[in-house]
Amino acid sequence: MSRRRLRLLLTPVVLAVATALIVAWAHRGADVAELGVLRTGRLWVRVREHVALCAVSTALAVAAAVPAGVAATRPGLRRLASPLLFVANVGQSVPTIAVLALAFSVTGIGFRTAVIGLWAYSLLPVLRNTVAGLGGVDPAVVEAARGMGMSPAQILRRVELPLAWPVLAAGVRTAAVVNVGTAALATFVGAGGLGALIVVGLDNQRDRILYTGAALTAVLALAVDWAVAALADLSGGGSR
Amino acid sequence: MGAGPVIRYEEATKRYGAGPPALDRLSLEVPAGETCVLVGPSGGGKTTALKLVNRLVEPTSGRVLIDGRDVAATDPVTLRRGIGYVIQQVGLFAHLDVAANVATVPRLLGWDRRRIDVRVDELLDLVGLEPATYRHRRPDELSGGQRQRVGVARALAADPPVLLMDEPFGAVDPVTRTRLQDEFLALQRRLRRTVLLVTHDIDEALRLGDRLAVLAGGGRLEQYGTPADVLARPATPFVADFVGAGRTLRRLDLLSAADAVTDAAAGPDAAGELAAEGPAVAAAAPLTDAVAALLRSDAAAVRVIDDGRAVGIVTLDSIRAALRRDGGTVEP
Repeated sequence: MSRRRLRLLLTPVVLAVATALIVAWAHRGADVAELGVLRTGRLWVRVREHVALCAVSTALAVAAAVPAGVAATRPGLRRLASPLLFVANVGQSVPTIAVLALAFSVTGIGFRTAVIGLWAYSLLPVLRNTVAGLGGVDPAVVEAARGMGMSPAQILRRVELPLAWPVLAAGVRTAAVVNVGTAALATFVGAGGLGALIVVGLDNQRDRILYTGAALTAVLALAVDWAVAALADLSGGGSR
Repeated sequence: MGAGPVIRYEEATKRYGAGPPALDRLSLEVPAGETCVLVGPSGGGKTTALKLVNRLVEPTSGRVLIDGRDVAATDPVTLRRGIGYVIQQVGLFAHLDVAANVATVPRLLGWDRRRIDVRVDELLDLVGLEPATYRHRRPDELSGGQRQRVGVARALAADPPVLLMDEPFGAVDPVTRTRLQDEFLALQRRLRRTVLLVTHDIDEALRLGDRLAVLAGGGRLEQYGTPADVLARPATPFVADFVGAGRTLRRLDLLSAADAVTDAAAGPDAAGELAAEGPAVAAAAPLTDAVAALLRSDAAAVRVIDDGRAVGIVTLDSIRAALRRDGGTVEP
């Protein structure tokens, strides 16, 4: 527990130092063309675009997949579980770039299209872990709760969701982290993000820009991992 | 708080799909403040019968009344908050500490915090868990026996007049089980709730029950009576078989040495001599102890001591007579 706490406290410090080093390296000896892309202000815009893409798509995935997972584990609706997981599996197994291309044909270029693609991609981990977490709750515990006079809504809120929380949160964490990586593709539908640096670097054979984009994406993935873990720890009421 | 209510089954039947019923026209009445043990092999409908009371199972036909009121007339959630429920797996909430587990029903009922805190400590004391030590433990930091105690405390939290217990001591080791049974008996002597308890263990049933309901496969009630009654006069071959060949010895457990004492004054010489030496048992000890004392020694009689004075003797003949007398009455 205390080691975990220590790691939670140290991670942001390490990540902040890493970011500072990356930015310093990017600026050191950069020519005018490179500086045009790598100015701190420009980088900050790219990071903000990237974070917005991930945050919105992950939040929408949670908003859709958690209720769906809850529904699929209710006694009367249990048969929903397999088809739902099937749909989510399809969303996960079709390559993101293809999902983006499909979404592009409907919603055109921009933020919205990228969010749809990322959303479809992150449904599965959240849905799967919601179903697994709720399915893993000991039936005896639910029976005891029912026997004591909890209503179905109270059982869900006070017993099932808190007990499923660690597994559910792990699904959200997976979705969020994977989204940080996948969002690098958003630049292909004109939604910006750190992927833009990578593509510009590749197109112009500017390794400095390419590496800066890749390294910042990696740091952001670690930061998101940390943030979701910290959030889960706080909201889990210190369970486990 | 007075004793619990009367619980009455009227022709209660439960069928799951086609096939034989799980519970077949069960009719019986549990008097207020008594413990009725539903006992029998698995598939006898014991748990089904229990769950009819708090409506975790709804009857196919027939009904269950608590103090004359059909349980079907009360909203199940409200009904259950007034009925304590203990199950074999306990079902403690792993994400909450002991105090929060015990406080479940009071919270549902909207008690204020002070009252809940006081009640939780009271209950932990009641089930023998030092509140200061255990209040903030997590369920996974407790032994099986401690968890079971927390389960009982949680069931008693809102002071329910009815207690349903489904194999409450089934998942703990034999030594802990015996201790929990003793504690249950002591608790029930004080609280006088109306208790329905399910077990497949005939010894547990005989120890804990004021009355036994013996259920056979297909949910048929084979016999309903006091433990002494069931042992002395099994109503059907099934019951005789279920209580087993050891039933005579078990009856000795239910009788005390005082029940079999013969008048010492009838044989002044023998009594005078016996009073001085030879094996002795306490008047309140089970008759089994007297038989053991007889078998251990060459003596033909065992002295019975009450309050430090010999009150008479027990012989094999007097034991036979006691069993015969006991067999002729309903109450032990």
